[in-house]
Amino acid sequence: MIDTKKLKAELEDIPNDSIVLIETSAEKAMDVNLAVMKILTDKDYTGLIISASRPCKNLLVLYEKNSINTKKVMILCAVCKSQGGDAKNTERVIHLERISALTEMSISLNEAIKKTEGGKFVFIDSITTMLIYNKPNVFAIFIHSILTKMRMNMVSGLLISIENETNKDIRAEIAQLCDKVIKL
Amino acid sequence: MEKLESALNEILKTGKGNSILLELDAELYFKTIIKAIKKLQKKGLSGIYVSTQRPFKNISSLLKKEGININKIIFIDVASAASKEAQEKCKGCVHISPELDVDELVEAIYNSAEKMKGKKFIFIDSITTFALYKPISESLRFSEFLISQVKGKKDIILILNVAKDLSQKKFIRDVVMRADKTIEIKD
Repeated sequence: MIDTKKLKAELEDIPNDSIVLIETSAEKAMDVNLAVMKILTDKDYTGLIISASRPCKNLLVLYEKNSINTKKVMILCAVCKSQGGDAKNTERVIHLERISALTEMSISLNEAIKKTEGGKFVFIDSITTMLIYNKPNVFAIFIHSILTKMRMNMVSGLLISIENETNKDIRAEIAQLCDKVIKL
Repeated sequence: MEKLESALNEILKTGKGNSILLELDAELYFKTIIKAIKKLQKKGLSGIYVSTQRPFKNISSLLKKEGININKIIFIDVASAASKEAQEKCKGCVHISPELDVDELVEAIYNSAEKMKGKKFIFIDSITTFALYKPISESLRFSEFLISQVKGKKDIILILNVAKDLSQKKFIRDVVMRADKTIEIKD
C-alpha cells in the first residue's frame, strides 16, 4: 500500500506547470499510477498517459475498477502493437509502434496536448521500463525535449521511476530537470 | 552554501579563481540554484543565465516568483532551441539556433556580457544537459573556452552547474581540472 495522503499533499502544493518525478518500488508502481490518476482526474484534469508498462485495456479496466473517470484519460499505449495485440485506436487510446519509437511518441503526445481542452497532465509510466528499450542518451534527450515542450505549453508532468532500477546517470539527469522528487 | 559564499567573497576581493564548478544534489537541484542566484544578486552582480534545462518563460517566471530580480539577468534560451520549439522574442531573452553551435553560443554570451555594466556572473545550467545534444569534445571545448575567457578578469564570475551523481563523468572530471574551484553544495 502507498501513502495516498502523502501523495495527495505533495501534489496539492505544486504549481500547474510543474514536473514531478515519483520514485517508488516495482511492487507499488501500479498503486502509484492509480492514486495519481484518481487524485488528478478528481480535480478535473485530463491525464495523457504514456504507458510502457501495461497494455491500455488492462489500464482502463483498472481505472474503472478504482472509480477513475476514464473520460478524463487518454492513453498513448506503447505496449499493445509491439506485443502483436489488438491495436485499434479509439477515442481514449492511441497505439504507438513500440516503446523505442520516441519520435512517434513525441509527435503523438504533442497532438494529444493540443487536442485536449482544459487542465491536463502528462503521466509517464515508467522511465525505468522505457530505458530497457532505449539507449540512455537518446532517452534522456527525448525526456528533456518533451519536458521543454510541456513547460512551454504550461502542462504538468509526472514521471514514475522504479527506485534503484533506473540507470543512475539518467536518473540524475532527469531528476535535475524536475521541479520535485517524491519518494513513495 | 557557506563554501560558495566564501568563494564569491574571495573572487570579488582578489579577482582570482573566478571559474567555479558547482556540484548540486539532483533532488534539490533547482532550489539550490535559486539560493545561488540570490547570493550572487545580493552581492550586486548582474548575470547571464544559460538555460539548457528549462525554456525562458519557465525559468524566468520561477526565478521571479522566488523574488529574484530578472531585469538584472539576460537569459540565453538553449532549452527551446534544443527541443526545436518556436522561439518567441521576449525582453531579456536571447535565442540561439537549434544546431546549438558552440561558437554561436559563446558569441551570444559575449555579446550579452558586453551589454551589462559592473560585476557580472555567467551561469551555465547545466553542462551535462548541454552534453546530451553535443559531442563531449564540443561540450568540453565550450567549458574550456569560457574558463579561459574569464581567467584574470576581475568583474566576472563563471559558474558551471552539474548534478552530483553526474560529476564522476569523465568529461566533467576534465572540466574540474580546468576550473579554479569545485564546490559541492549539500543544502
